[in-house]
Amino acid sequence: MLVSIVSYGLALGAVYALIGITYNVMFAASRVFSFTAGMTGMLGGVLGALFIDRLGMPVIMGFIATLAAGAALGIITEILTVRPVLKSLDQHLYVLSTLAFALMIQQLTAIEWSTEPQPFPRLLPIGSGYFDQQFWLPMAACAVTIVGLEWLYRRTLIGRAFLAIAEDNYAARALGLPEQRLRIASYALAGVIGTLAGFTGAEMMLAYFGNGPLLNFYGFVPVALGGMGSNRGAVVGGFALGLFQQTANFMVGGIFASVAVFVVFIVVLLVRPEGLAGAAAARRV
Amino acid sequence: MKVTRRQTLRGSAAALAAGVFRPAIAQSEPIRIGYLPALTGPSSSTGIGINRGTELAVKEINAAGGIKGRQIELIVRDTQSDPTKAVNASTELTRRHKVQVMWGPLNSGEALAATPLIARDGVPQIHPCWVDALTDPKKYPLAFRNAPTNQQIGGAANHYVVSILKANKVAVVSDTTGYGTASLDAYVPMLKSMGATVVYQSSVEANNPDVKPELLRMQAAGAEAIMPWSVNAGFLSRIINTRAEMEWDVPIVGQTTLGSGQTKALLKKPEYWEKVYPNNFRNCSYDTSGQLPPRTVEFVERIRKAGIEMSDTLLWWIALGYDGPRLIADAIREAGSAPEEIAGYWNKVKGWPGVYGTITWTSELHDGFQGNEIVMVQANSLREGAFVLAPGYTG
Repeated sequence: MLVSIVSYGLALGAVYALIGITYNVMFAASRVFSFTAGMTGMLGGVLGALFIDRLGMPVIMGFIATLAAGAALGIITEILTVRPVLKSLDQHLYVLSTLAFALMIQQLTAIEWSTEPQPFPRLLPIGSGYFDQQFWLPMAACAVTIVGLEWLYRRTLIGRAFLAIAEDNYAARALGLPEQRLRIASYALAGVIGTLAGFTGAEMMLAYFGNGPLLNFYGFVPVALGGMGSNRGAVVGGFALGLFQQTANFMVGGIFASVAVFVVFIVVLLVRPEGLAGAAAARRV
Repeated sequence: MKVTRRQTLRGSAAALAAGVFRPAIAQSEPIRIGYLPALTGPSSSTGIGINRGTELAVKEINAAGGIKGRQIELIVRDTQSDPTKAVNASTELTRRHKVQVMWGPLNSGEALAATPLIARDGVPQIHPCWVDALTDPKKYPLAFRNAPTNQQIGGAANHYVVSILKANKVAVVSDTTGYGTASLDAYVPMLKSMGATVVYQSSVEANNPDVKPELLRMQAAGAEAIMPWSVNAGFLSRIINTRAEMEWDVPIVGQTTLGSGQTKALLKKPEYWEKVYPNNFRNCSYDTSGQLPPRTVEFVERIRKAGIEMSDTLLWWIALGYDGPRLIADAIREAGSAPEEIAGYWNKVKGWPGVYGTITWTSELHDGFQGNEIVMVQANSLREGAFVLAPGYTG
């Protein structure tokens, strides 16, 4: 039982954490909470199965094509749903625009792909039982993403420019940073991370259009638990959610497992609204 | 104004001629059947299969001279698996095209939306949808069903588990959809009334990637059969895969989707499909000697001659599609094309020998399918769209 809780819990947690990071990367660049995050995760599985299983691409080519499609989707999201509403962020129009776009992606996938879950190909002939690749691949993807983002943000000029626009958009522009291009790049990066989550988690979750709303929600929980904009918080929140969800599956089972997750989520937000790793935002008065 | 005797006679002759000749024109007009399949969209696999049978039936009837010399004109509107489009299309067919009768919608979601409107417009309707509420002789006196109800489907599965497999301790599990929870609520009391002990019952999120906790509970409770109610192939395949990985030899009995190609595609090994018994229909199943019933054999021959593809669909879908237009044609041939004539005929149909099922309707019961024609089959025995009967059935 313990092995099952740990293997499924950590693997699911890694997928949730990556979707949380997808939310964060888009949020940092635009202050927009885009509901397309879960859809990129869903498309990671669907496009991976399409490229490798149906179109017969080699695994590595299918992987690259899936991530490229994720980047393209990120750019389209920025152009179609974020840029037009940035001037009136306080009206929260982005909720409508990103949610509508997310629903369009989901419906299009249902029509063109299938409403039935489809198998995802085995990527590597490594591991079996609870050490199967379906468990460690999402964890490895999460580790690589965290290390890569740390390196990008701390060691590269473009990464520091990302941080600058995340910190103070107006000041960054005043310093001559190409804010719009950086925002597009952030959305492309978010698309890559989202599809990476879906691609590596798809053997466990299957290539299924219904994973979109599920990942939208369970990817949001680590962000809320960890603190908006905090990638480290999202990782801790994601793994905690995965382990807790799987433990609840064993302890109480059925729909009560979902109820247990919601209860903990609400209690944490009531006790610490800024999230476990977040800082309360100062408000000018 | 003065009216002469000659004018009166001329007027009377014209009126008489109109009366006499109008029916003559009407007698040569085609019979318009409104037809609402889902040929595209998420639920189209069923619609595409049924459509092959429907087109074959109409082609055969028209080739044989039609109905008393009148050809059938099938006015088709693809609902695109969307209840809203089904509503718009049904209104277009009943009001603009003035169809004499409706065949469909073919999916319950669309039928739930369209049936009240078809009834309001006074058009006789046959549909093959399983949701119990879709027939009601008082509410929809012109709506008839030529397929089983959900109650009959659950009843057949429960009968197999309790009376044929002799399993007394049963685990019932569903997903959290409306269909899943409604099935659980309906079938658990039915099982108990048949004398079985339901040792485990639960609704689980269909997307949950790990169903091992649920199966461990079922095993600990001593379940002798698992009955999953869901149309989600992912959920069902996870139950089948987990059972095999636990090396638990318990039979899985239930929803038709257990035997679908989508479920098969998600199994980790083909042999995991052993001892899985989904719902199916006796007339479209191979018996223990590998034979289809005689009327189905003859039907399959006709399908082959017509060049209809069977490998990517199910035989019972084609058979169901074939029966619909023939029930309509028989009513018009025997009784006439007015709504009350068609419904009046259907209200007296008894033992109508369809390829899919034997139909009996009365003015009090518009669910015509016979419960004893619903059987369980072996999921891993699919051959040319049909399955072999599950162990324990005779004949």
